[in-house]
Amino acid sequence: MSASSKTIRHFVFTFLSAIILTSSITSCVTTDEYDDNSKGNFEALWRIMDEHYCFFTQKGIDWNEVHERYSRQFDATMTDAQAFEVMTKMLSEVKDGHVNLYTSFNIGRYWAWYEDFPKNYSDSLERKYLKTDYRIASGMDYTIFDDNVGYILCKSFLNNTGAGNLDNILLYMQPCRGLIIDVRNNGGGNVNNAEELAARFTNEELLVGYIQHKTGTGHDDFSSLQPQHLKPGKGIRWQKPVIILTNRSVYSAANEFVKYMKCCPKAKIVGDKTGGGAGLPFSSELPNGWSIRFSACPMYDKNKQMTEFGIDPDYKVDISSSDFSRGRDTIIEFARQLLH
Amino acid sequence: MNRSVRLINYTRLLIITLLLTTTKSWAQDTLRSGKVITNAQMIGIGAVNILDTYISPEIYRGSELRYVSHSTRGNGSKLSRELIHHAQLTFAKNRVRNNQEVGGYYNFQYNWIYELGKWNLGKGELNLKTGGGVDVLTGFLYNTRNSNNPAQGYARLNIAPDIIAAYSFRLWRRSIQVRYELQTPLLGVMFSPNYEQSYYEIFSRGNYDHNIVFTTPFSAPSLRQMATIDFTLHHTTLRVGFLGDYQQTKVNGLRQHVWSNLFLLGIVRKFSINKILP
Repeated sequence: MSASSKTIRHFVFTFLSAIILTSSITSCVTTDEYDDNSKGNFEALWRIMDEHYCFFTQKGIDWNEVHERYSRQFDATMTDAQAFEVMTKMLSEVKDGHVNLYTSFNIGRYWAWYEDFPKNYSDSLERKYLKTDYRIASGMDYTIFDDNVGYILCKSFLNNTGAGNLDNILLYMQPCRGLIIDVRNNGGGNVNNAEELAARFTNEELLVGYIQHKTGTGHDDFSSLQPQHLKPGKGIRWQKPVIILTNRSVYSAANEFVKYMKCCPKAKIVGDKTGGGAGLPFSSELPNGWSIRFSACPMYDKNKQMTEFGIDPDYKVDISSSDFSRGRDTIIEFARQLLH
Repeated sequence: MNRSVRLINYTRLLIITLLLTTTKSWAQDTLRSGKVITNAQMIGIGAVNILDTYISPEIYRGSELRYVSHSTRGNGSKLSRELIHHAQLTFAKNRVRNNQEVGGYYNFQYNWIYELGKWNLGKGELNLKTGGGVDVLTGFLYNTRNSNNPAQGYARLNIAPDIIAAYSFRLWRRSIQVRYELQTPLLGVMFSPNYEQSYYEIFSRGNYDHNIVFTTPFSAPSLRQMATIDFTLHHTTLRVGFLGDYQQTKVNGLRQHVWSNLFLLGIVRKFSINKILP
C-alpha cells in the first residue's frame, strides 16, 4: 500500500468519523406542533399559558385543574365560534386584562377590572373643561383653567413622548400654581413614554419599583427582582405640586406611570383605584393562527408589592351624580381645591 | 551639418538607452508573488424553515434569497485562507399562512485551510483540505403581529472546523471541478434573552441575565454544507450547486432554528497578484 493511498484512507476515516460524530451530537432543534383542530388548539393554548403566564402563583390559580375542567368541553364537532367561546372562558380564569385571544371575528377578553366599577369619567364633562381652545402636543391635550391651574389630558402612552414637546408643555404651564395630569381612561402603551413623562417630576433618581421575568417553564421560575429607577428628565422639570387623576380604566403603562408618580414627592393621586395590569405582555399563537397575548414579566411597586390589581389613590374620589348633572367633574374639582 | 547629424544620433542613442533602461527597471520591479485568489459570487434561492420560540411556538416556512461571496487566497504553499460572506433575507409564513416573519442575517467566515494532499484518482485529481476559523453571525427575525416580543436579534461568534474535498477532471474538453465543503461550529458565544426576558428589560433597563451564553455542539448543533460544480463556458467559469445551512440553538430555555436549502448559481474568477514597486 502506497503512502498516498494510506493518507487518503486516513482522511476518509477521519472525515466519516467527524460526520458520524457530528450527526450523533447534532440533533434537530425543533418543536412538537399541536394538530390544527379544536382539541389541538386547546392543548396549545393551555400549554402556552402554562409555560409563559407569570401570575399563577400570586393569583392562586391551579392551572392543571383548569385543564381538567375545560379539556372535556373540546371535541372534533366544535365550530370556531364555540371553541373561541370556551377558550375565552378558560382564559378569564386568570382575571387579567392583558390576556386576550385574537381571531379574525372577535377578541377574547377579560375586562371586569373596569366594567364592574364606576366609570368616573365623562366625555361630555371632558369637553366642558377643555373647551375648544386647548392645545395638543405629543398626543396630549392641555390647557390652563380660569383659576390658574394647568390641566393635561393624557389618554394614551402609545404616542412617542418627545422631549421638545414636554418642554413646550411645561413652559406653557410655568405661571400655573399647580398641575393636573388626567390619565383616566389611559389604557397604556409604551412604558418608555410613561417613564419619559414621569421623569419631569423628580430632581433626583428614585427607586420606583421592581421588575422580573420568567426564566423557565415552571410557574415559579423567575429571575431575581431588579430595581426600577426613575432618573430626572433632561429638560424642563416641574417643581410645583402635581395631581394625577385616575380611574379603573388606568391600565398597563398608565398604571406604571401612576406607580412612578406615587414616588415623586410633590405628586398626589386623586380619583379611583387604577385598573392594574402589571405584567408586561408577550404574544404567541395557536396552530389555527389565532394570536394570544398574556402577561409575561411581572412588575412591582417600590415595596415589592404586586400592582397587577391596581394602585390605590391618595384621595379616593368618585364623580357624584349631583355634580355630573351640574356639569362638574368631582374629581377635577377636588384636585383644583387641593392646589389652592 | 556633421555636427547636427551627430547631435541627432546622440539624441536617438539617449532615447533608446533611456527606453531600454526604463523597460529593464519595470521588469526588475515587478514581483510575482504567487498569490492566487479564487472568488465565487453566488446567488442562492430556496426554501427556509424557521423556529424561534421567543416569538412563536409555531414553525414558519417560506423562501430565502441569499448572496454568497466565497474567496480562497492561496500563495503557492499548502496553507490558504478563506473569506466567506453570506447575506440572507427570509420570508416565511405560519401553518395557516395568516402571519409572516421576516428575517435578515449576515454571516462572515475567516478560515485557515491546510491542504492535506493531491491524488490522481481516475481521470482527475482529488484535492483534500481541512482547517477552521471564525464564524460570525448577526441578524434579526421580525414577527409582524407580536406585541412586546415582536423581534429577536442574533449575534453569534463560533470557532468552526472546516473540511473541503475538490475533484478536478476534464469532460468533453472542458475543465470541471466538483467541490464539497462542510463546516460545523465547535465552540462559541452568542447573545440571547433569558427565556421570557423582554428587550425592554435588557436594553432600556440594562438588566443582564445570562444574555451572553457559551455554546457547544450540544447547545448549538449547526451545520453548513455546500456542494458545487464549476465549469467553463466561453471563458466564463460558472458555479452551480446546493447550499444546506442548518443553524440551531437551544439556550436559556429558547429553541431556534433556521434551516435553509438553496440552489446556488454564480461565477468564479481567479486572480493572480503581481506587486509593482514604484
